[in-house]
Amino acid sequence: MKRFTIVGLLVVFVLLAVLPAVAQEPVELRWRTRPDNQPEIDVYQSASDQIDAAWDGVALKYEPGGSESASYQDVLVTELEAGTAPDVFWIPGTDVARFAEAGLILNLADVAAADENFSAEDFYAGPMYFLQTAIEEGTPTLWGLPRDLSAFAVYYNADLFDAAGLDYPVDGWTWADFEEAAAEITALGDDTLGFGMNAWWANWGYFVNAAGSSFFNEDYTACGLNNAATVEGLDFAKSLFDNGYAIPWGNDAEPPFLAGKLGMFLNGRWATPGTIANATFNWNVATLPIGPSGEPTNWAFWGAYVVNANTAHPEEAWDLVTRLTSAEIQGQIAALGANIPSRATEDAVALFLGTLPDSGVNNQVFIDGAAAGVAEAPLFYGNWPAIDAAYGNGVTAIFNGSLSAQEFADTICEQVAGEFE
Amino acid sequence: MQTTMNSPVAPSLTDGERRPTFVLVASVLFALVLAGAGLYLSGLIAGLDNATQFGNLGRPVQEFFRFAVLAPGAVALVSAVLMAMRRPIGRYLTMAVMFITFVMSIAALLQVVGVFFLFEGVVDAIMASPWIALMLPAAYVVFWFAGRFEEGSLVQRVLTQGSLIAAVASVVLLILSGKMLESANRMLDQFGRDQGRVTGAAVLIAVIVLTGILTWRLIKIGEYFGENHIQRSAWQGWLMLSPNAIGFMLFFAGPLLLSLYLSFTNSSVGRTPEVIGFENYANILSLEFHWRDSVEATRQSLLSVGYAPLVSLFIGGRELVIGAKDVLFWRSMFNTFLFCLMLLPLAIIPAIFLALILNSKLPGVKFYRAVYFLPSVASVVGVALIWRWLYDPLIGFFNYFITQIVGFFNGLLGLGLADPQIRWLTEPSVVLFAVVLLAAWQVVGFNTVLFLAGLQGIPVEMYEAAGIDGANRAQRFRFVTLPLLAPTTFFVVITTAISGLQVFNEPYSLFPYRPIPIEATTAVYYLYDRGFPRAEFGYSSALAWILFVIIFLITLVQFRMSRSNAYE
Repeated sequence: MKRFTIVGLLVVFVLLAVLPAVAQEPVELRWRTRPDNQPEIDVYQSASDQIDAAWDGVALKYEPGGSESASYQDVLVTELEAGTAPDVFWIPGTDVARFAEAGLILNLADVAAADENFSAEDFYAGPMYFLQTAIEEGTPTLWGLPRDLSAFAVYYNADLFDAAGLDYPVDGWTWADFEEAAAEITALGDDTLGFGMNAWWANWGYFVNAAGSSFFNEDYTACGLNNAATVEGLDFAKSLFDNGYAIPWGNDAEPPFLAGKLGMFLNGRWATPGTIANATFNWNVATLPIGPSGEPTNWAFWGAYVVNANTAHPEEAWDLVTRLTSAEIQGQIAALGANIPSRATEDAVALFLGTLPDSGVNNQVFIDGAAAGVAEAPLFYGNWPAIDAAYGNGVTAIFNGSLSAQEFADTICEQVAGEFE
Repeated sequence: MQTTMNSPVAPSLTDGERRPTFVLVASVLFALVLAGAGLYLSGLIAGLDNATQFGNLGRPVQEFFRFAVLAPGAVALVSAVLMAMRRPIGRYLTMAVMFITFVMSIAALLQVVGVFFLFEGVVDAIMASPWIALMLPAAYVVFWFAGRFEEGSLVQRVLTQGSLIAAVASVVLLILSGKMLESANRMLDQFGRDQGRVTGAAVLIAVIVLTGILTWRLIKIGEYFGENHIQRSAWQGWLMLSPNAIGFMLFFAGPLLLSLYLSFTNSSVGRTPEVIGFENYANILSLEFHWRDSVEATRQSLLSVGYAPLVSLFIGGRELVIGAKDVLFWRSMFNTFLFCLMLLPLAIIPAIFLALILNSKLPGVKFYRAVYFLPSVASVVGVALIWRWLYDPLIGFFNYFITQIVGFFNGLLGLGLADPQIRWLTEPSVVLFAVVLLAAWQVVGFNTVLFLAGLQGIPVEMYEAAGIDGANRAQRFRFVTLPLLAPTTFFVVITTAISGLQVFNEPYSLFPYRPIPIEATTAVYYLYDRGFPRAEFGYSSALAWILFVIIFLITLVQFRMSRSNAYE
């Protein structure tokens, strides 16, 4: 009898449990973006909470992503492959093509077309060009919206400029002025060097671009480094190392700069909060010096909010992307001092120029840099990680003296030809 | 009840003995249900869309999973039939099927309810209230300290009870600190809102109860099937082993098999893997050899399309150009072997001498044992950050130290030595050594502990006998310590070599910018680079298997060498 009672109870339990629920639940959206530090996590969380509170029928969950042992990108790729990635996530601009071609992100052109409040013109043109690049020709395309923008500046130690009797850099200064400043500051001695930059593509890329060359050909279908301008740009950069003006290539230039041992440091807007917090000397930022091309040169670094191709709620996800890129939210994030709003509208620019009012940082330098910047390009016709590795290894060999800039320019395009489709 | 050990069927019952009808019938029926469930699940898996519902892993994996659920279903069917025939083997099979279903259902229930999310709550609670969390180890230390006082003394009682109260209080405070309760609440809230999960949990609970009861009852009716104590010990052993075996199959053998399969595909993120045979292996391992007789011919021009020059060898006045399809693989293998060659002496010889020092009766030895072990438990990422500063050519300690030493000798002896100003992380000839130094520093402490254990296992009588024979300290070390330490040395060499061949964290963390220098690119870093930043899962799986074979062969050779040189 007892055993039949147990079985009977189990049957009743199962029947009770399978009765359908009737409650209407809100749409739950997970979203993720890569923060650089805890204050950024806090501000993104706060933005998420604000949007959540003002949006009926949708519950948001913000995830910073990444961990100590796995980078943001590694975790994201793993989750995409496992089918557990969030509905909306941020990716670097260089990854947009790869994700789009793999079918991992939604083409939002249709939902965007139906959204009367949306205008692509409100954003900087460089990133929007790539975000609207179609995989199949003639298909209206929108892969996402840029979260923010960044650009390089020359962070300079004003005290070292004073000590060397130099004027501070001004708009329109040239490579000759720059080299002279680096030499004079190095001549101060006491382990002081004139210049430093970090060892990744945009740094040496600035010298190549400023000399009049380019990473790719015009339509981004092939390598563009096989020319004399590349040689000129890389030779100039190498001379900074060879003459002992620059901190050796491959070493992190930020610690010596913050220690007051470096006259000039090429870095992006993202370094501004850290410099404000840690530099104990007078400093400011200047536009990048003009090279042989005669034109102001910079990079426009960007990343985009995109929508997971497997999201169950594409309309809500698009809505979230537009809310996250509103001028108001971008203003809150830019207030931390690390980013430039991706909206080129007057109100967004004004918001940015008003950031960090007590620091004395010349914010206009970054706005000018973004406007002059070559947008970092997602390669729709090539394997960027492989090309980056090949370019980077070659440039490292040049700076280490085991390869000449001429040999590099002569061979690099042939070397990476197989990485372009 | 009289039975024979190998009775093919359960014996007939004498008067007064009860036949376990309910258990038999219920077991047969439930085994049939499980067989049906296996068949149903197999069909369900076959019907899933590979791209959207099966992780885009490819049809072969889907078929494998289909078989993987069909196989236990078939076993359940066989066990039902044999059980119905009252064969002892039927009982064993049914017990195994029930128990495995029981264990798997518990794991599935924890997953369905979302219990694993509670771990996040525990971590959040600790991070939010570290001082409360620290009370727990502090209480343990006090408890341990209390044991040093006289048993039953007032001090001991106060300390023991105080530490227990503190430990309980810290756990309660952590729970009440909000994060854990919040996490539990969120888990239950999410669970309750998902009707599918509630239904699944209910079914799983029913299965757990039923399989639990049936397994228990099947265990109890061994006598009816003529089970003796040897047979009972045998299945109990298998029972004890089964959780580990299941875990091994699920979390080790499964991913391993998947990686082997992926190595024969062109798997990438978002793409259904297509089987491409040995193409990945061929691309990784392909080499070309050409004599370069004319200096006007570039090395590249001698090679076929897709190959790049790897290395040139000069033999008998002629240049042999070796080209490879994947130059970086060969470079990374070379770097890895070089890394190991440098690591082994740097991680083993200092460890032996440290162990000898720590094996003495010097005051504070226990403290130093802990100190030397610290680098082994420190996070590589954090450590690498500090070492990056130490290596800085401008403001780093190493160069400062070298400058001071050079200055000292120049001042003292007027040698005129040049300060090398080493560019630790950028100079091609030095970068790998910089990685080795960091890795050796990390592993020396661990090896020291191993050698210490080995030293403490050497009988004192051996030293006494050597002393009587007139051996001095050096001779005792050479002829007693080293030979008797050989098994430990062998183990340390093997583990250090394997960890060296798998080195990843150090180059990954020491070089913040990508790509890292070619000279520091190790085999595992390279497979990571192909696997994640480039998302070439198939190619990197092939790299992983090649590396596995190499490590396996090296270990095998070391085993053989050790066996032939073993000190008996």
